[in-house]
Amino acid sequence: MKLKHLGMLLGGILLAFLYFYINPSSVNFLPKCPLYVTTGIYCPGCGSQRATHELLHLNILGVFRQNALYVLGILILIYHLIIRILNSFFHKNSYNYIYHPKTPWILLIIILIFWILRNLPFYPFNLLAPH
Amino acid sequence: MGQKPPKNYLVESILVTIFCCLPFGIAGIVFASQVNSKFALGDYEGAIASSKRAKKWMNWSIIAAVISVILSIVFVFALGGLAILGLSNQ
Repeated sequence: MKLKHLGMLLGGILLAFLYFYINPSSVNFLPKCPLYVTTGIYCPGCGSQRATHELLHLNILGVFRQNALYVLGILILIYHLIIRILNSFFHKNSYNYIYHPKTPWILLIIILIFWILRNLPFYPFNLLAPH
Repeated sequence: MGQKPPKNYLVESILVTIFCCLPFGIAGIVFASQVNSKFALGDYEGAIASSKRAKKWMNWSIIAAVISVILSIVFVFALGGLAILGLSNQ
């Protein structure tokens, strides 16, 4: 387990360096979304590589412009990590809403609505498409 | 409720949906919801079974991510190689 976590940490640092120095908009060797390439439809994850680049440059507005769902994903990740750290290191017993029966369905509905809206080609929904 | 719920992989599924493989991420979210609802109903065995299914989808998405990175690198090198060959033939 320890080795796996060390590997994940090293991989994360490597990816952070990669996406800090490479702007995904200006190179063509990064993997592309197969759905967008084949159909021209944006998926809920489109723009995430560019959003990572913006996030590493601390441009939060840029992250929103590329993929608004990315911001939600990061917030959920931070929330989950904070609860886990509180519970395991400080022996608290906080309730984690990740384990609430309704949470997965609410997130699924948000993802599906976001998916539909960002493909509508008119204002204001076209703001949700990656730029 | 003495027992802790089994890992539901919901956060991992959301990250998979955003970063890599939409269908695998959505499958993961559906199984995460099964983990939560079965545990809430006291079906601990069922919750563990759904947790294992969610984990399986997360593993598949890691494999899919690695394959897509390899394919994109191969594709770029193949195109680059063809371009160099084309230039040298002229």
